[in-house]
Amino acid sequence: MNALEVLSEHVPELQESFNSAIVIGNSTFGLTQYTLWMIICWILTLVVVLVAGRKLTLIPTNKFINTVEYGYQFVRNDMGEGVIGHGFKKHVPFLATLFFFILISNFVGLIPGCKTPTGTISVTWALSLISFLYFVFWGVKAHGGLGYLKSLAPSGLPIVMVPIIWFLELISTVIRLLTLAVRLYGNMFAGHMVLGIFALAASVFLTVGIQSFDLVSGVLSVPWFLLLIFMYALETLVAFLQAYVFTTLSSVYISLATSAH
Amino acid sequence: MEIALVLSALKVVGYGLGAIGPGIGIGIACYGCCVGTARQPELQGRLFTNFILGAALAEALALIGFVLAFIM
Repeated sequence: MNALEVLSEHVPELQESFNSAIVIGNSTFGLTQYTLWMIICWILTLVVVLVAGRKLTLIPTNKFINTVEYGYQFVRNDMGEGVIGHGFKKHVPFLATLFFFILISNFVGLIPGCKTPTGTISVTWALSLISFLYFVFWGVKAHGGLGYLKSLAPSGLPIVMVPIIWFLELISTVIRLLTLAVRLYGNMFAGHMVLGIFALAASVFLTVGIQSFDLVSGVLSVPWFLLLIFMYALETLVAFLQAYVFTTLSSVYISLATSAH
Repeated sequence: MEIALVLSALKVVGYGLGAIGPGIGIGIACYGCCVGTARQPELQGRLFTNFILGAALAEALALIGFVLAFIM
């Protein structure tokens, strides 16, 4: 029995496990596993932040509060003050909510047996829609409805170029909605698929090696397992990086929308 | 069956071709960010934000390819 053939037989099963399936209720009123995990992550975010924020002191008393405060400070200084600049304080709660929710969702998915809510397009689509509406809202508030549309094209252009540049900028603004959603979804989904393939390969090669006394397959399962550990470490980095990128891009878009050109 | 297999293989090839440009672009952006940071470490925060923005713009092309591979 060839190990690679067995592996390719099992791959559709793996793909199937990434599809949305109903776990509670029925198709009219129920929860898919991603919605369930999204609610869990949502509760987890609330619990983490509220527990840490309950006993605020000037000097943090324990490591947990210190960690959460460090995360908040990271959002505030790096993404708020560093990117938006003047008037960043009113955007920090929104950015911190986005950052903590995405970070916790991404890390929950790394625990074996848990699903990452950001690994489905619906959740990331909703997140990017929230971010999009938020920066358009603040842009309209800063410039007025017509003024915001006008401010898409940078000022100081020759009059002939303005409609073309304005149209290109309009497209690039609307496409932010797509790219924000797909970037997060693509990274999380592809990462978990790769982890799944390597885990499957390690177990299939070992099983085939034992069942048919094939020494080569059995030995080959070790590099698969080492690759799995390496990819797992990489995914931990990606989970943090994607939360960071999503929040940074949101704040960049906010600063582009609100700043006067 | 054969045609479906060829079509799905072609989608993956198309996405691979679409990922070449953004890959080079993000590489150049990262190079510029590293060189700039090495010369003026105090500008690191500003440079890194610009790098993320530029990488996001370049990456948009690869992401559109990723979406097209799914929906076509």
